[in-house]
Amino acid sequence: MTGLSDDIRDLASDYVLGLMPEGEMRLFEELIQRDPELARHVGDLRDSLLPLDLSATPRDLSEGFAESTRALVQADAADGPAAPGPANPAPQHAANITRPPSRRMTGLAAAALVGIAIGFGAGGLRPQPEPQVIAVLLDDQGVPQAVVEDYGNDTATVRFVAQIDVPADRSLQVWTLPTPEIGATSLGVLDRTAPTRLTFDDLPGPMAQQLYEVTLEPAGGSPTGRPTGPIIGKGYAAPQV
Amino acid sequence: MKDRQTAHDRSARLRQALDQCADGDDSGIAAILDIEGRQLLGVAFRMLQRHDLAEEALQDAMVQVWRKAGTQRADSGSVRGWIYAILRNRCLNILRDGKRLSTLAPADLALVQEARQQIVPTEGWEILAGSSKLRTCLDGLDAPGRQAILLAYVAGFSHGEIAARQNMPLGTAKSLIRRGLSALKECLS
Repeated sequence: MTGLSDDIRDLASDYVLGLMPEGEMRLFEELIQRDPELARHVGDLRDSLLPLDLSATPRDLSEGFAESTRALVQADAADGPAAPGPANPAPQHAANITRPPSRRMTGLAAAALVGIAIGFGAGGLRPQPEPQVIAVLLDDQGVPQAVVEDYGNDTATVRFVAQIDVPADRSLQVWTLPTPEIGATSLGVLDRTAPTRLTFDDLPGPMAQQLYEVTLEPAGGSPTGRPTGPIIGKGYAAPQV
Repeated sequence: MKDRQTAHDRSARLRQALDQCADGDDSGIAAILDIEGRQLLGVAFRMLQRHDLAEEALQDAMVQVWRKAGTQRADSGSVRGWIYAILRNRCLNILRDGKRLSTLAPADLALVQEARQQIVPTEGWEILAGSSKLRTCLDGLDAPGRQAILLAYVAGFSHGEIAARQNMPLGTAKSLIRRGLSALKECLS
């Protein structure tokens, strides 16, 4: 008997069958990363259905396919995520989703936070310190773009949960607003959307409802020390302790 | 016995290839393509019905495998299942990206859509040759549930498309699929 709720099992079914919209899928993947029991459940479901994939008729790859794929991942390693497919750097398209977020999105965001809390609390399975707050950063359509965890000791992590194309002459910059007096303060500059640990100096401990956001800035970060570029996502801190 | 040994070898080789990717060694990608490339392309072709789109999906999937290699957990299912899941997601991205498909000539797009209707045979479990536990368990599901699961997993149809094709309300299709998969899981375990 496992401790996964029926709701989470339903979501896992949708996920494994490819029935989850992309925005929800990325958030659910974040949840899978956090919850070993859910990860096992999803892995079991996948392996159960794998014979269906093996029932497809194999097909020869085009000449040179392996070489060109290797070149592609080498370029990816060198340049950050130069994902193939149509380049689409405009931030308003960053989520690649134009429909309004579904009502269940909110529930899923909440489930992610609960899942994160459960994951951290599950018998010390995870040795990392607990984040003091977590903020799910949403774009202007309400679609999750990134999750920031602030540990309160001048370190935070950011993980992106949507496909965000960062043009070569731009960087992503993570910000928070500790108090109106301090104003928007940079937590770090990123050139790619890999999960990143951020370290910064002398900020007050994070508070509930503190604003976090990611903006697209000129390469190397905002020239003014304040956010200047379009907002990729923003969200408010939810306390975890 | 030999099959089991082969499966064990493949599993170990895939794990090793994924570890290479996680270490930034792109020979891991070449190894994955060597072991699974033809089968992966077969899955993508079945879903997308065009060789060029299938190769695009496979290449896209390999970039994702490369990026996410460090996140695959040894205790959460097989590497093989994980790789096929990534591939199917990339295929779905192509199917659901209207802009991507709109680059096809209208006649080509019509051919793709027409061919996709035929991917899952009426008696869905026939898709699995021979006898296997999964085939037996699929056979045990009621026909609409079985068909809906296969339309989603094998052909990449959305909830809405499945509901329309099965001529039932969206909510009914959703619960049919979830109930079906739950029953399938129970039968398999």
